[in-house]
This record gives sequence, C-alpha cells and structure tokens, in this order.
Amino acid sequence: MSFSRMLDRKGALRISLMGAAVLGLLHSAPASAQSEGLYGPVADNAVMGGRLNMGLLVEPPGLDPFHQAADARIRVSVLMYQGLFYEAPSGTAEPLLAESYEVSDDGLTYTIKVRQGVKFHTGADMTAEDVAYSYNYIRDPENGSPGAGDFAIITDITAVDATTVEIKLSTPNASLPMTLGNKYGAVVPAGTFDDENARNLMNAQSVGTGPFKLAEFVPNSHIVLDKNEEYWEQGMPYLDGVDFAILPNSASMLVALRNQRVDLVALSRPQDVQQVEGVEGLEIERWPSLGQASIDLGSETKPLDDVRVRQAISLAVDKSEVMQASIGDFGTVLGTVPAGLQEQWGLPLDQVPMQGPDNEKAKALLAEAGMTDGVTMTLTTINGYDWMDAAAVTLREQLGEIGVTLDIQKVDLGVWINNFRSSQMGFTFNDWATQPDPNLLFYRHFHKKPEGADFRNWANDEASALLDEGRAEADPAKRREIYNEFQTILAETVPTIMLFSPDHITVRSARVQNYVQHPTGWYYGLARTYLSE
Amino acid sequence: MGAYLVKRLAASLLTALLASMLVFLLVRLVPGDVVAQMMGQAGGEAAAGAMREFFGLDQPVYVQYFRWLTQVLQGDLGTSWTRGLPVTMLIGQAFLVTLEIGLLTLFVATVVGVPLGIVAGIYEDGPLDTFIQSINVVGLSAPVFWVGLMLLVGVSSMFAWSPPLRYVPPARSLADNLSILALPIASLAFLQIAAYSQFVRQNVVSALHQEYVRTAVAKGVPVRTIFFKHILRNVLIPIVTFMGLILIQILGGVVIIESLFALPGLGRLLLTAIETRDYPVLQGALLIVVVAAMVVNLVVDLAYRLIDPRVRVS
Repeated sequence: MSFSRMLDRKGALRISLMGAAVLGLLHSAPASAQSEGLYGPVADNAVMGGRLNMGLLVEPPGLDPFHQAADARIRVSVLMYQGLFYEAPSGTAEPLLAESYEVSDDGLTYTIKVRQGVKFHTGADMTAEDVAYSYNYIRDPENGSPGAGDFAIITDITAVDATTVEIKLSTPNASLPMTLGNKYGAVVPAGTFDDENARNLMNAQSVGTGPFKLAEFVPNSHIVLDKNEEYWEQGMPYLDGVDFAILPNSASMLVALRNQRVDLVALSRPQDVQQVEGVEGLEIERWPSLGQASIDLGSETKPLDDVRVRQAISLAVDKSEVMQASIGDFGTVLGTVPAGLQEQWGLPLDQVPMQGPDNEKAKALLAEAGMTDGVTMTLTTINGYDWMDAAAVTLREQLGEIGVTLDIQKVDLGVWINNFRSSQMGFTFNDWATQPDPNLLFYRHFHKKPEGADFRNWANDEASALLDEGRAEADPAKRREIYNEFQTILAETVPTIMLFSPDHITVRSARVQNYVQHPTGWYYGLARTYLSE
Repeated sequence: MGAYLVKRLAASLLTALLASMLVFLLVRLVPGDVVAQMMGQAGGEAAAGAMREFFGLDQPVYVQYFRWLTQVLQGDLGTSWTRGLPVTMLIGQAFLVTLEIGLLTLFVATVVGVPLGIVAGIYEDGPLDTFIQSINVVGLSAPVFWVGLMLLVGVSSMFAWSPPLRYVPPARSLADNLSILALPIASLAFLQIAAYSQFVRQNVVSALHQEYVRTAVAKGVPVRTIFFKHILRNVLIPIVTFMGLILIQILGGVVIIESLFALPGLGRLLLTAIETRDYPVLQGALLIVVVAAMVVNLVVDLAYRLIDPRVRVS
C-alpha cells in the first residue's frame, strides 16, 4: 500500500496543497501533487463569471464521446459529459454521477447508487434508467464504440429502481469503476441514439450532465462552451464559459499568447515553452503525465521475433539521452509505467531488468542470436510527432554502437494506426496515454488474443495470466505485487520500451486562477478555474 | 458563342466526372480509414466492423461510388463522418472564406503588381527597375509560410498585436474581418506581386521594343496614346491569362496560410479531412476545387474573346 493511499482525505489534500505551493515557486520539476476531490481544488475566494479563451493546438475530430476515441475529443468532451466515476490523479476512481457503490463478495455484481438531482443539458432529470441505457449502448459492439472492448467483461446492466443500477460481470474486475470513467461514452438520456442523427447532433449540442454545455462548434475555427446553469455541483463552475480557439500551429499560438488573444494553452511540444519563458504576464507550469513516448517491438517482424534481439535493443538504449534529444528536460525517464503511475503502480526503477546502456551485454546477446555481422532494421516514426524525429536520430546512433543499422521510415498517422490495429506495427515509436489504472494501461495492449488485442504479437502466457489475476484482485497491495511481477516480465522480454513521459506544460495569463492540469491531459481543471479580474 | 459555350460546358462536365472517379479511388488508396482513426489504439474489431458498416465502407468501392454519385447528382454531397454536418454547408462556409482571401489577394496583387511591372518596364535597367526587381527576387524565393510567420512575429513584436483568432465573416463586421485577413493576404500577395510585376515588366519591355511602337514614337504620337493604345492593350491579354493562373496559385498557397492564421477555409477543411479520412468532405471539397479551377479557366477564355477580337474568329 502506498503512502498516499494510507492518508485520509484531509491529509492528502494538505500534502498536495503544500506540494503545489513549493513547486509553484520552483518551476523546475513537474508539480507532482494533485488535489483530491473532483476536477481540482475548490477555490476559497473564487471570482464568479467571465469567459476564458483557451487555445487548442489539436482540433477534436468530433465531439461525440461514444464513437470517437481521439484524445483531442476527450480533452474537451469531459467538460460536457460525465460518467459514473472520476479518474482521480491519485489512481482511485471517485464517484461522479455515482453516489456510492457496493461490490458483492464474489466481485461479480456492482450495485451503484446514482446521484440525485442531476439534470441533463436537455433539462430532463437523470435516472438509473439513463445510466443503464448509456452503458449498455457503449458495451454493445454493434454500436461501434471504441470503448466496447473495455466493457467486454460486463454481462448485464440493469436499472433496479430509479436510483440504483446493477452491473454484472463475467469475471471480477477491480478496475471497473475506473472503466466507468470519462474516456468513452458518458451518461446521456435514455433513447438518445434512437434518433439516427444523434451522433451528428452531438457536434451541435451537448446532451450530457457536465459543468459546461456546447454552444457552438465551428470546425477549423472554434468551440464555444457555456456554463451549465443547472449543474449539480453547487456554485460550480466559476466561469461563464470557455471559448476554444483552434490554432494548429504552435508558433502562431505563442504569438497569440503574448498578445493575450488566448488565456491558457496546453503545449504539445514541451520545448516550445522556451519561447515564452520570461514573458511578462505569462505563467508557465509543468504537470506530471500519464502519457508515454515508447518504442514498440512487434514480434511479427524479423528479427524482433527473437527475444535476444529485443533484449539487446533494450540494453543499447539510453533513455535519458533519447529524452534529452526529443524534449530536453521537460519529462521523466520511465521504467515500465508512465510517470503518473510510477508511485502507485510502477516497478521500482532500480529493479527494472534489461535497462541500459550496457553495450557489451547487448552485443553478446546479438552474437548469441547469430547476428555477429550486424543487422539492419527499419524504424517507423509518425508524421506530426516532432519528438520522434530527434529520437530516431539518437536511437540510430545508440543502436549503431551494437551493430544494428537503422533505416528510418516516416509514415502518416492514418497509415500507422492501420498497421498498429492489424498487429503489423514492426519496429516503431509510439505515443499514447492511459487512465490512472494498471489494468486499463496494460490489459488490451499486452494480453494475448482474443481477450486482449496484443498489438505487438507478444503472446506471453505468463504475462497474460498475471494480467487476468491483477484485474480480478481487489486488494491494492496484492494487486501491486501482481503488476510488479508483470512489469518484470515486460521489461525482460521487451515487447515495448517505455522511454519517457513528456510533462504537460500549460502557459496561462496571470488572470487565470486555480487551473490544475489532470495527468491524462484532459481539461477537467477548467471546471474549477476562475479569472481574477 | 452559344455553341462554343455548350461545347466547353460539356467537356467540363466530362472532366468533372472523370475527376470525381479519380478522387474517389485515390482517397481510398491511402491506407487507414475513418474508422481506424476514430478507434485509434482502442476498440475491438467487432466495434470497428460495425462502424465500417455504418459508413458503408463494407461495400465494394464501385457500389460506394454510385451511391455517392447518385447523391451528388441530386445536389447532396452527404454528411461529414467526423463533424456530423452536411458537406455542402461545410464546403459553402469554407469556400466563402477561401474565395474572399483569394479575390482580395488577387486584387492587392493586381493593383500593386501591375503598376510596379509597368514602371519597371518603362524604366528598363534604370535604378528604379533594379530596385523593384531586387524586391521581386525576395518575393519569388521566400516560401509563403515563412513570409506569413515573419509577418506575424514581426507585427506582434513591433506593435504587440496579432490578428483575432476567431474568424468573423465580412457580413458580420467588415472591420473585424479585414483585421483578421490583413496579414494572411499580405503574406500571400507578397509572392504574387513579385510574380505579377516580373511578368508585366517583361511584356512591357517586349512591347516597347516592337517596331510599331518605334514607328509611333518617330511619327510623334503623344506618349500617352502610345502607352494606352499600343502598349497597354497588348500587355492586357497576357495579364488576364496570368490572373487566372495566379488565382489558382493563390488557392494553393491558401492551404498553408489558413493553417498558420487559423482561418476556416477550404484548404484547412481539406487538410483535416485528409487527416481524419473523412471521405465525404474530401470528395466534395476536391470536386469543388476541380470545378472551381474549370470555371476560372472558362472565365479566362471568355474574357479573351471580349478583349481580343481575333480569338472570336477562331
């Protein structure tokens, strides 16, 4: 059991506030502390009203939370739509539209009390019926939700009465509450999708329960959110609205920041921060992340099917050098989980096997695999992910030391996703993020088929068994042990090499107060933000 | 004239049909589709299959094409797969933005570029000509995105001002609209002014060296008459051709400028549609671009006939 889990709510809050104050002065390390409670700290003397201008570097491809998995969609839609639970940065799932829940002794039935007095943006009251409808919609693969895979263990969801929902599982799953969070789907009025045009309409009006409502979405231009006047959290949100300006170019974004055209931006290239450092009236903050920059090694591709080759690569990689080249100091070097999960779930960094650089051992492994004359491989990078270019060149140098020659191939994101989804990823960089839970991080990516997607063709029975065990285990201490064991196998047999988590970097004008960046990168913090003027 | 027009229109229609087929096939040759994009690294194959069915992507390509063509012939370009809005509406809004940028850039480039070219041509090899030509070299060699960025950063650091981020249509506020478009148009016009004035200069110089001009000068015809009747009239035809070319070129540069200045134009619409594999938008927008290019060509050809009687005869 980790330290923060042993604290009561108040204690944890005190520590996180203290941490925030210290880090606010330093700026040199990511603010590791996150406040407890929903969305961020409640402000003592918040100013009500005002509209905040936020810049978006990546436009949401659509705002429908049920059928669109893009992170750019989730960042914004969490302000309009809510699930039963909130993904607290500490790694626990806090009740959101749920009020409380009970788990049966066999771990197969969750009985959830639904929050009372919640209204949809449509004006209707939320009931257990709506909750059951919404989650039943997501889990039916026929409806085409990207979340369907995560909900596959659910066998039945029923509204027992107006305020109670019962969820039945085929196998115990300790991360069910986290799965019922805000990544995929949300609670919407029952029957929403009876209208064939419903998914299109979600780009014009919101039907969720969140603190903000959608007022306008003009593609390639802007998104306007207005305060939900009937929001169920008393006195929230502080802002009258948020105006997102979509500006796909970071140089233009920085100019807009300097001229106060935008109040707040989350930068997608951490090193861009150097261009606004020292600008008067702008505050720069760093936050820990659940994202990861990694190298994936697909076993369908020769010679990566030989575990010794994968191990040799892992041993030849100097992660901190790759990070330096990619994003400078603005990140954290990883072991086997993203930075935001390390404290709670990560294998201690000094215990992670196959970490380099250890070129002698790497060469020996390659020789053992019969590659004494060196070998040539193709490394894939993705267009638009700037860090990969610098990382690829560095990696080529590093692997060159052990006789591996790298050809670098840059592909379009759509092409890359296609290869990834068909488990033909080969040797590639990857850039992905997770919710704060080990099951949601590992299961789909690394469990063998058909239960998992096993994108890297790892097909590791032992690891899959541990993933099943970890998912079923309710006791956090035991769970941690299981996942540590899993991570040891992960690091030893190298289907992936997690390199670093780039920090979330936010730049805000001085009038923006109380914004906390959630480690997922989603803009939950706007629900607690106010403007000081 | 009537028969000519009918012939031209028929040829244009055929071209549009062939282009639509090509566009339809080409967008599908790019690996990855909208469903893969929507699912990302998540989602099971069952859900992905259901989505493909929803979009009709499970059908053979020719079935998809005829479905789409039937719709198009009824004036319906379908609904965007990601934005959920009618493609006609998306393109309509975006096209107006791009058209405004294009026409204003053309206007600025013509009003500035043509006189500069004429002056440079008249004072051939003089200091003024050298000066104009030097600027033109910069204009011709600087890439549009660089000029745009330099203007943006330059104006921002000198005047602590940058254009508003949210596009305002001219109907709502012309002043706001122009303050948003000033920098993008200036960046686009920089290159076109250079190209224009170089072109005009060359034509003026060659006209000046014509024997009929020399004869007119020798006969003592007033300079004004020589200029307007003998030089300008002859330079005008290539200028009109060039105008059409420039407009098409501007539409190319607009893609970059729209992304730089966050303008919701056709270029950006196309770009995001390519990224998200939003076929209905992509097909619709490309079709419109093809048709627009054909219309520009047609208008240029018709303009010839008005200006130059010789074309009418042939």
